[in-house]
Amino acid sequence: MKTAVLMSVGLLALSGCASQMVSIRTVPDQTPAADNAAALANAAAFAEAVATESAEVESVAAETASGSPPEVHGGPEAAPLLTPEDAPPMYTYDPWERFNRFAYRFNARFDEAIFLPVANTYRRVPSPVRAGVHNFFANIAEIDSVINYTLQWRLKYGLRSLERLVINSTIGIGGLIDAATKLKLPGTPTGFATTLAKWGMHPGPYLVIPLLGPSTLRDGVGFLADYGAEYGINIAGLYRGNVSWALGPVNTIDQRANIDFRYYSGGSPFEYETIRFLYVRRRLIEDVGLRANERPKKPAVEVPAGK
Amino acid sequence: MQISRRLRQIAFAMVWSAPFAISAEPIEPPPQSQPAPGPATGLSDSAGLRATVFGTPPEAMAPLPAKVPLYEINITLPWRLPVPEILWFDAKLRVWLSAQDRPAPLAIVISGTGSDGNNKTISILRAALYGAGYHVLTMPSPTFSGFIVSASSTGVAGDLMQDGHDLYAAMQEIIAHLPPKVRITDIDLLGFSLGGANAAIVKSIDASEGKLKVHRVVMINPPVSLFSSVGRLDRLFASTIGPGEMGVDLLYRRLYAQLANLYRVSDRLELDEKFILTAAAVTLKTDAEFSQAIALAYRLQLVDMFFIGDLYAKTGVVIDPEHRPKVGDSLEDIQRDLRAKPFADYFTRVFAPYYLQRRPEASSASLIAANRLDIIADALRSDGDYYAQTNSNDLILNRRELDWLQDTLGPRIVVYDHGGHLGEIGDRQQVADMLDMLAGRWPRSAP
Repeated sequence: MKTAVLMSVGLLALSGCASQMVSIRTVPDQTPAADNAAALANAAAFAEAVATESAEVESVAAETASGSPPEVHGGPEAAPLLTPEDAPPMYTYDPWERFNRFAYRFNARFDEAIFLPVANTYRRVPSPVRAGVHNFFANIAEIDSVINYTLQWRLKYGLRSLERLVINSTIGIGGLIDAATKLKLPGTPTGFATTLAKWGMHPGPYLVIPLLGPSTLRDGVGFLADYGAEYGINIAGLYRGNVSWALGPVNTIDQRANIDFRYYSGGSPFEYETIRFLYVRRRLIEDVGLRANERPKKPAVEVPAGK
Repeated sequence: MQISRRLRQIAFAMVWSAPFAISAEPIEPPPQSQPAPGPATGLSDSAGLRATVFGTPPEAMAPLPAKVPLYEINITLPWRLPVPEILWFDAKLRVWLSAQDRPAPLAIVISGTGSDGNNKTISILRAALYGAGYHVLTMPSPTFSGFIVSASSTGVAGDLMQDGHDLYAAMQEIIAHLPPKVRITDIDLLGFSLGGANAAIVKSIDASEGKLKVHRVVMINPPVSLFSSVGRLDRLFASTIGPGEMGVDLLYRRLYAQLANLYRVSDRLELDEKFILTAAAVTLKTDAEFSQAIALAYRLQLVDMFFIGDLYAKTGVVIDPEHRPKVGDSLEDIQRDLRAKPFADYFTRVFAPYYLQRRPEASSASLIAANRLDIIADALRSDGDYYAQTNSNDLILNRRELDWLQDTLGPRIVVYDHGGHLGEIGDRQQVADMLDMLAGRWPRSAP
């Protein structure tokens, strides 16, 4: 079994490298009618969310304008709103750029040759089965979330993750069904990278991890720690047992199939810059949310974002 | 699980750029050789700007099929120029085909300025055409990076005739390599924005060469003058974002602060796709903000075309021809440099030097004149197989250009009173009219 799987992956890799003049391949069907129906169904909820957010922002802005001490909702110690001057520079801290760029190219090629064809094939599996696989892995990750929410001292969310874990492992038949979300307990995974952020660590140098993709030093360390924790706990013998070799690939295929991203689909020579910019800004904004009680410190000298 | 999280983060990072990823701002030629004066937004109004950004609302969408099968075709074209090392990923032309099981006419759809062949706008057209029984082939714009590298015979995009010839050759090559089970009874062309002008030019080339026997053409929101439309978008950028990198920096800082504040007050745990789309809708309020989004989207597409043109033409604007960048080299400063440059710079420093060297009889003025739809005015006027759809509030047209289109095409153009630029694509009326035009049932009032 193991040999057969590894060999077919190898063959797929080779076929991906073949350089014929024309290649024609089937990609997943588009479902325009269903997409539009979904957009229609979401429109009302979306408009409501927009109205709510607008009202919140306006009320905070009004407080600021009225001269009363500006603060966000959520506590007496809340910090004032960010101003455009608080935004990090457009440059990103990337001292390992040379390595990163080669890693990015490697990832793009690997994705095109292996991940994407495999994920496209996997998408032909009936969707209830795929959902089960996805929920199963999400449920295992919940353990890590419980640990990390606790380390972050956000016990409210830690408790929610714990409830989710218990409900989904029992009612949800070992995690195959996400029963907790139906019971109004939506899942929001966290990890050691976020714990490090909560403890005050900056993202640090931008890092493109081979096979995994965009990250930072902090997020990379977080990833290793999360994996280490799961390996150490070895839930249901999945990480150290007879089927462990299959765990990583199945998990990876599930993750890849759930992401609608394709390297260089925009054809841009500046895709590396764009992804780096967006990835680091997103993490920095999440950090702002984590440290809602303190105003971001303005460094004496303008340093690249992430440092 | 962490792998998934990482990948999801990339996906969300991409989504952040969604508000700016408007499919296609056109490059077009005007009826007069100087950039037209007047408002930067052409004929557009508040509703037009919003429609340009958001597109057709779901409740106005024409009925679309439940399922559209899709093939991705990657093809190496024999006339491709040597691929620069840093553009390795653009070496093959990528197009998409949705094929019927039975013999059917083929509709080829050409994307708008700087856009690929599988974006949101083109997918709506694909679905509508496939649902009406066509085989559908969707192609990138000849100004799209992937097309310039894989299919251009010059590397310098934006010349209507040259791009038309490259497109025409690429279409022949693709059709020759389609699987035999795709049985084609007829060929029609469509294009939106700049793609509309490209489609019309390809038909006019085919009229003399006859290799594809193109039947009908529908231009959707076409430009009339490449350079006056582009000039309009440049002025929109200068007036709403500000000239140069300074304006982009200020815009970025404002958006960052807004997004961060919104995220903080929202008490969310993850910066996810839903939040970002909500945030975009909360942030985009005024005409100026919509104009900024449109101008920035267009400028970011121009940056790619400018970079590749400078690389191929060896004009040395931002790339030293003696020291071309390699895979490990940073391109950020080049990108910042280019972001500050309007299309006028591309024209005077890359496009004109390149083409003037190859066409000794040409002048800057003649190059501009050659990039107007009226180079095929006679065909547009006399050949009943050219059709157009546009909007009375399209920001890439001015009054004179719209009048020219109406005068030239007569009953074969329909002008809607809404939609801005491309914001009517997919609505019931637009789809019904487009299908009638393609099938030769237009104008409907005719006996």
